[in-house]
Amino acid sequence: MKTLLAPAFVMLFPIALSFPGAAHSQTDPGVRPGPVNGQSGATQGNPLPLASVNANSPTGILEFFDNGLGRFQEEEVVSGGVNNGLGPRFNTNSCSSCHAQPAIGGSSPANNPEFQTIAQGIASGSTNTMPPFVTPHGPTLEVRFPFFTNSNGTPNRNSPNGGVEDLFTVSGRPDAGTCNIQQPNFRQALQTNNIIFRIPTPIFGAGLIENIDDATLMANQEAQAGNNFGIAGAFNRNGNDGTIARFGWKAQNKSLLVFAGEAYNVEMGITNEVFAQERPLPQEEQNDGLPANCLNLAGRGYPEDATNFNVPANHDQAAQNAQVPSDVVLFAEFMRLLAPPVPSQSSPGGAPSINAGFALFKSIGCAVCHTPAIRATQPSNVTASLGNATVKAFSDFEIHHMGAGLADNVSQGGAGGDQFRTAPLWGLGQRIFFLHDGRTTNLMAAIAAHRSSGSEATQVTENFAALSNGQQQEVLNFLRSL
Amino acid sequence: MIRLRLVIIAAVFLLLDAAALAISQGGPIPAGVILVKGTWSSAAGSPLAVPEAGVVSQDKYDNAYFGLSYAFGPDWTQRYEGPPPSDAGYYVLAQLEPQDAALHSRLGHFLIAAQDLFFTTTSAHSAMEFVNYYRDHLGEDYRIERATSKLRLAGHDFVRLDYSSPASGLHWRVLAMEVRCHVLEFVFTSSDARSLDRLVTSLGTMIQQSASPPVCIKNFADGDTVLEREEPVLTEPRFNRVPARIIIDQEGRVKHIHFLSAFPEQARVITEALSQWRFKPYLVNGQPVEVETGVVFGRAPRAGISAQP
Repeated sequence: MKTLLAPAFVMLFPIALSFPGAAHSQTDPGVRPGPVNGQSGATQGNPLPLASVNANSPTGILEFFDNGLGRFQEEEVVSGGVNNGLGPRFNTNSCSSCHAQPAIGGSSPANNPEFQTIAQGIASGSTNTMPPFVTPHGPTLEVRFPFFTNSNGTPNRNSPNGGVEDLFTVSGRPDAGTCNIQQPNFRQALQTNNIIFRIPTPIFGAGLIENIDDATLMANQEAQAGNNFGIAGAFNRNGNDGTIARFGWKAQNKSLLVFAGEAYNVEMGITNEVFAQERPLPQEEQNDGLPANCLNLAGRGYPEDATNFNVPANHDQAAQNAQVPSDVVLFAEFMRLLAPPVPSQSSPGGAPSINAGFALFKSIGCAVCHTPAIRATQPSNVTASLGNATVKAFSDFEIHHMGAGLADNVSQGGAGGDQFRTAPLWGLGQRIFFLHDGRTTNLMAAIAAHRSSGSEATQVTENFAALSNGQQQEVLNFLRSL
Repeated sequence: MIRLRLVIIAAVFLLLDAAALAISQGGPIPAGVILVKGTWSSAAGSPLAVPEAGVVSQDKYDNAYFGLSYAFGPDWTQRYEGPPPSDAGYYVLAQLEPQDAALHSRLGHFLIAAQDLFFTTTSAHSAMEFVNYYRDHLGEDYRIERATSKLRLAGHDFVRLDYSSPASGLHWRVLAMEVRCHVLEFVFTSSDARSLDRLVTSLGTMIQQSASPPVCIKNFADGDTVLEREEPVLTEPRFNRVPARIIIDQEGRVKHIHFLSAFPEQARVITEALSQWRFKPYLVNGQPVEVETGVVFGRAPRAGISAQP
């Protein structure tokens, strides 16, 4: 608790320092009310697919989207039942529990499902305790320890770790047999400050991001060369083939399938066709791995999630087809086919304020990294809406040095401990938590956090500070319109 | 007695070493420190100055590499240092803002940056071309207030560009000069054009005078100037670009290697290889002189980039 609260104080204090007079005058309008994702007809439980998917073009694709949406909400158990394979370590038992705000596929909700994990019996209270940083009102967190530890528990700075430390174990559950493993030592990690947090990235419009050609991204980068804002980013290139990776807080994942496969394995402990082995904790993996009585708990062998080769014949051919792929394939398809959020033209603050805010956003240099639109995606062999489309994600998909204030000392691929992908801003207006660790719910604090020693964004934040109070408010209104 | 003192001193040093080791390896992780670095700049073992090692002191900025000393006065401070150099050779050297934060909106702030012309992803070969590249890529949200022009100030040749943004009311003054095959840029930003004029005038206090820098030559390491060449074997496929500035002595040996952006293992392997390279001595008036040039390892830059939008 202490560690989690500290960043909040650190962040809020500089607001008054950085933007004198601003803290009392400018207000983050907060989560924008109105249609979910700005889309007529969308609800929290029913996010909309892309237009061509909604038109079921090509025939049958809508069934894949709906099936993927259903699987995204499935609650997994360890053994027995239909949806099993959970654990032996996990953060949650369903994708949609964390990807929930403002709709399924989004980011952290206001009510933290992790906090209910023991109360609802998903993890046994006899063998698990609630980590002190998991709080009722979020954000939902993924935890990593930047460094492995010495034998006395202190961090070994010569031994970088950075892997996910799952919050809970299945031990003590009636469907988990004799598996008996401990949670990571979170208290020790807190005491030694060897702990960082991540919140879920929203995945609306992810198929458009996936379908941008590398050359288009590189051309955008070159167009920004020589900017006068102190910005010069790089791409996180896939270690296998050198192409541009683009998903995750550090752009560490190349494709939605890899993204889905890793998340299913890491967050829920479910082996799959992309990540086929049970995953021990990083330190556990360096020792003997998981104990034998914690393996194959579902009793079906590996991977626990696999292609369904024997789907019963169904008079509905499309429904039958959509049942064949494994969960991770359908997760990836669901993410690929989700429509991007639609910005509001009038809320908050009215159209003139939003338009002025957008002009200011570009003027002060935010748009160098948060590129408003990338034209255009590759032709699509999936569905028409994914092809030749403009991606209004407000990101260049580069990784940038964000300075000591945001650094988490976790390296992923080519990204160092202080480098992060430019977070796409589409849908920002209805997000609750900001920055990679969800340390703030206040846009002013999020902007202020962009400047610290070593950050590429300091000059842009200085420009923001140079604006009048009214202009800053217009920028906030614009951001909350997204 | 002397032996006892030596033993005590040695013991104290051992204890200090042990304490330092404990702090460096086992203590709590300090907040706000970048410990795990990706690609970063380095010039291991070289006593020579590098561009990113300038110093902001009480009222001035000094940079030994560029031979620069700029007294901007006591009203300014640097609260946040810049990021490391980019793999395209871009440096944020200093970022200054008013000491009194309440004066920020009036006085503005300024940036001292540099672009290495050996590694730029633009096709600019000079300060003029670099500033024009930027001008040509200014979006529709900006207005040119003063076209690109040459300016001589306190004995130094600058390229100047003034522009503004009607949306924000901010004005920019860009003054660029060439030093050691870099474009050295001063970017002043404020909503008050008069403040900017004062800042531009303050550049008159600047001194730029390198003692005797090496001759800088692009692509000197290409072709038959290299007599002996040992290629580094990079064992991990990182797919990043590794730009290195090297200084070659009068005998044709590499005396200084500065990596702008490299993973540590890349820097180590490339350093071992470069130390074996031999160059034809470069002659000026019949005398061999030191040469500074750039070499890129790893990912090659894209071809066909134009300075025009």
